[in-house]
Amino acid sequence: MASHRVGEADSGAPHHHHIPYAIPHMLHHPNNSTFINQEGSAFDFGELEEAIILQGVKINNDDKKQPLYTAIRPAATLDMFPSWPMRFQQHTPRGSSKSGEESTDSGSAVNTLSNTPESPSDHRQPPPPPPQMDAAGGIDSPRLSGSHSQPAAKPAPEKTLRRLAQNREAARKSRLRKKAYVQQLESSRIRLAQLEQDLQRARSQGLFLGGGGAASGSISSGGAIFDMEYSRWLDDDHRHMSELRTALQAHLSDGDLRVIVDGYIAHYDEVFRLKGAAAKSDVFHLITGMWTTPAERCFLWMGGFRPSDLIKMLIPQLDPLTEQQFMGICSLQHSSQQAEEALSQGLEQLQQSLVDTIANGSANDSMHHMAVALGKLANLEGFVRQADNLRQQTLHQLHRLLTIRQAARCFLVIGEYYGRLRALSSLWASRPRESMIADDNSCQTTTDLQMVQSSQNQFSNF
Amino acid sequence: MQYQSESRSYYSSAVQGGVDPLERVVRLASGSAVVIFSVSTCCMCHAVKRLFCGMGVNPTVYELDQDPRGHEIERALSHLLGGGSAVPVVFIGGKLVGAMDRVMASHIGGTLVPLLKEAGALWL
Repeated sequence: MASHRVGEADSGAPHHHHIPYAIPHMLHHPNNSTFINQEGSAFDFGELEEAIILQGVKINNDDKKQPLYTAIRPAATLDMFPSWPMRFQQHTPRGSSKSGEESTDSGSAVNTLSNTPESPSDHRQPPPPPPQMDAAGGIDSPRLSGSHSQPAAKPAPEKTLRRLAQNREAARKSRLRKKAYVQQLESSRIRLAQLEQDLQRARSQGLFLGGGGAASGSISSGGAIFDMEYSRWLDDDHRHMSELRTALQAHLSDGDLRVIVDGYIAHYDEVFRLKGAAAKSDVFHLITGMWTTPAERCFLWMGGFRPSDLIKMLIPQLDPLTEQQFMGICSLQHSSQQAEEALSQGLEQLQQSLVDTIANGSANDSMHHMAVALGKLANLEGFVRQADNLRQQTLHQLHRLLTIRQAARCFLVIGEYYGRLRALSSLWASRPRESMIADDNSCQTTTDLQMVQSSQNQFSNF
Repeated sequence: MQYQSESRSYYSSAVQGGVDPLERVVRLASGSAVVIFSVSTCCMCHAVKRLFCGMGVNPTVYELDQDPRGHEIERALSHLLGGGSAVPVVFIGGKLVGAMDRVMASHIGGTLVPLLKEAGALWL
């Protein structure tokens, strides 16, 4: 059933009204399999009946059907399955040309309508013999009218059979994928509930109690709290950026613009304050970048962005600059590089010292060595704090060097840059990893459409 | 980035008068253009030393763990800084600059280099 193509023709129109009833009726008809078994006229009858059914579930041509269909549209979780809207839109303009895709559509459409169509359809597959049934299902408009007028017409050529089989495969795989996705969503929901529970517990007990015992295992309470605050900060960031953008476009006075820019600086000061608190409770969470997206993590330096890289990125975007400004910014880049180098070397020494301590722990002295190692580890917090201090100072200095208008544009550029980096991470994560579908062109198109749809969703945020 | 070889001058434990550790700090600090109070095992102290060396400055470093009266000085410094870690602390031209965060803020803000030039620790 899933593999059958849906024809465009309206020839089945008179049957539309009673199709919903026709489906269960026909499928529960005891003689159904007998019909399919037989050749000649009975066989064509089966073909005709299938055509009627498929006309019935076809959505595009029947206005009456549409509201019914959308009314029984599946629940919120399944709604997020990206291919759906595309498929709906796909349906209307295309004819039976993209037959494979449409049959997959109708396949999933039929599946999710209710359980009833699904079980009978499965139930129809085992009954003998599939080739004949495929032939019966090979419908499109010319064929339908063809079968009407020529009862003795030879049914589906092999190409169609193969295509139908592939479509069935595609539909099956599509269903499996959807199931996997839903399962993933469900487990994420459970994990989220657990995290929230841990957060509640952590809140009531105060911050991170060493050892991370009660925590969900992968993330400490301190880390979880920071992640939550950081995501709130990101939402705020988005808001600040829109404010900046509209302020720049509206050509506000310098005074007004200054208020907005000062607000944005305070917003950045806030994140450094949050990071400072997080460094106290879980420095590893910060320094390993588990709070950032993968693309940001790739460029991570000491728990955050590298200021000199940021300035390097900004210089061409800040044109036009006066000579003095340009010198100031280059000097800023230079001093930032020196400071970064110094901190990196300090951290390297810490790592070396830690390695020595751990490597030299003898059996009888291990506790002592562990205690010493713990003491050394505590210094990590200091380095992350200094690195964040460096970042904060760099942003403040930029603010000082630029005019208010330039500063507004500068911060907008910074915000957009990191926004794009985050979007890149999402796109990367949602890219189709392997083709679970056969090499059939039509099926591949479905995957591509899914990717395009999800990428469009990502970009719509920006 | 150019590396300068550090030249450290260590004052022996010979104390000339001045029992008060803070006084000693002040005296030591005015003795050179750039003075860093440090602990040899402290990694942040290592970072601040590398910062100055990277800028071409030869700081005078006092390793407090190697000084018999080092912990007194450490206490005094900690008090001076308003609590927290006593080291590293930087004095330029006899005047207190501060701990690592103040040094970095000063460098980023562009005030460190003029200070160094003024104290004669940096030429050009």
